[in-house]
Amino acid sequence: MKRIFSLVLVLCLLVPSGAFAADLFIAQAANFTPVMKEIIPAFEKATGLKAQATYASTGKLYGQIINDAPFDIFLAADEKRPNKLFADGLAEKPFVYAKGQVVLWSSDKNFCGDDWKATVVNDAVKRVSIANTETAPYGTSSMKAMQAVGIWDKVQPKLVFGQSISQAFQFASTGSADVGFCAYSSVFTDAGKKGCFTVVDEAPPVIQAACVLKSAPHADAAAKFVKFLATPEVQAMKLKYGYK
Amino acid sequence: MDWTPLILSAKLAIWTMLLIPILASPMASLLAFGRFKGKSLLDAVVTLPMVMPPTVLGFALLVVMGPRGYLGGLWEDVTGNRLVFSFTGILLASLVFNLPFAVQPLRASLEKLDPRLLESAAVLGLSPLSTFFRIVLPNCMGGLAAASILVFAHSLGEFGVILMVGGSIPGQTQVASVAIFEAVEALRFDDAFRMSAALIPVCFAVLLIINKINARRA
Repeated sequence: MKRIFSLVLVLCLLVPSGAFAADLFIAQAANFTPVMKEIIPAFEKATGLKAQATYASTGKLYGQIINDAPFDIFLAADEKRPNKLFADGLAEKPFVYAKGQVVLWSSDKNFCGDDWKATVVNDAVKRVSIANTETAPYGTSSMKAMQAVGIWDKVQPKLVFGQSISQAFQFASTGSADVGFCAYSSVFTDAGKKGCFTVVDEAPPVIQAACVLKSAPHADAAAKFVKFLATPEVQAMKLKYGYK
Repeated sequence: MDWTPLILSAKLAIWTMLLIPILASPMASLLAFGRFKGKSLLDAVVTLPMVMPPTVLGFALLVVMGPRGYLGGLWEDVTGNRLVFSFTGILLASLVFNLPFAVQPLRASLEKLDPRLLESAAVLGLSPLSTFFRIVLPNCMGGLAAASILVFAHSLGEFGVILMVGGSIPGQTQVASVAIFEAVEALRFDDAFRMSAALIPVCFAVLLIINKINARRA
């Protein structure tokens, strides 16, 4: 028994960690995950470079970056944080790589129609999920839409707050919230296809900006990736998932 | 600074501490004295929340306690209210999450109980109920105290589970840990620091008390 244990231990130590090395490290805001899963293989095919993405909330990635996380490029879900990195001299000038759209999503087909305002104020809708209005750009945008049509105060008691747009979708997709303000991209996930949605036209588009970090260990690869993001191939992938 | 999340955390911790003996005591006695098939299975089930990642447990609870889950559906039929995203909901989640942390010390103190004491009580004609109150309870006070205080501290720091079933509603489910997390994400480091600074002495005091109890038992 002891011998087997030692053997396993030694084997664990011997597994080469170099096997996970990549030529480009990307910090990616979670909402863009489905598109990124298509962009990365295409980029690898086009350039022969190996890219590795970390998917987390914009706030968490920002916190890691200012604490010297070894990323090359940061694709945020907002403009605020890339701009702040630029202002603090930690990144190159930010650029917009995607524009997201807020939808009202529900697992219950009765709660979808042309008029999202009527749905959220409907008494049958007890709980409405939304991403954190302070930290999550989709949350802020959803709040602005409700304020614009004058139902914010009325809906507030029904709101449940997810830490990110994915948690807002998770609350809605488990049925815990009757409807939820979600990202258009979540509609294309397996869980998203099981429900229905209405586009929230009043919600300002969520401008997602990216920046190459000054401390990038692989600056050349990062530059190639930035170029690749502008290709028609990537444009088509973004459109497919509801981004502009 | 807004103190509501801290007060809410304290409220959650106190309720969990008060209610957990009701759940944990029978479970601990069953595990300490019971001789039945599947005991190790029950043991594993009770201990599971201790080793499961809190977010996984939280997601499981969200599904069970949601309006389409067994528990959540029943709850909504009976009370008319939704179980998830309510204080009752996070309290229930906290009880499940804390169960192993109460059962283990209780079970240990029950197992340490001298069987001769119980035998003498039976021989002398003491009813099971008075045996419990006059012999078991006084002898297990240390274990009960350790369990309660551990559970108190543990629910004070709880994050992953509440994040999943709570929905961060200010005044109802937005506990201190969630509020601190949100403050950090929003780059309000001062708020995060103040709230953490308020929590640390409490947790420290709790640890001192546990050490004192353990020293007295040894």
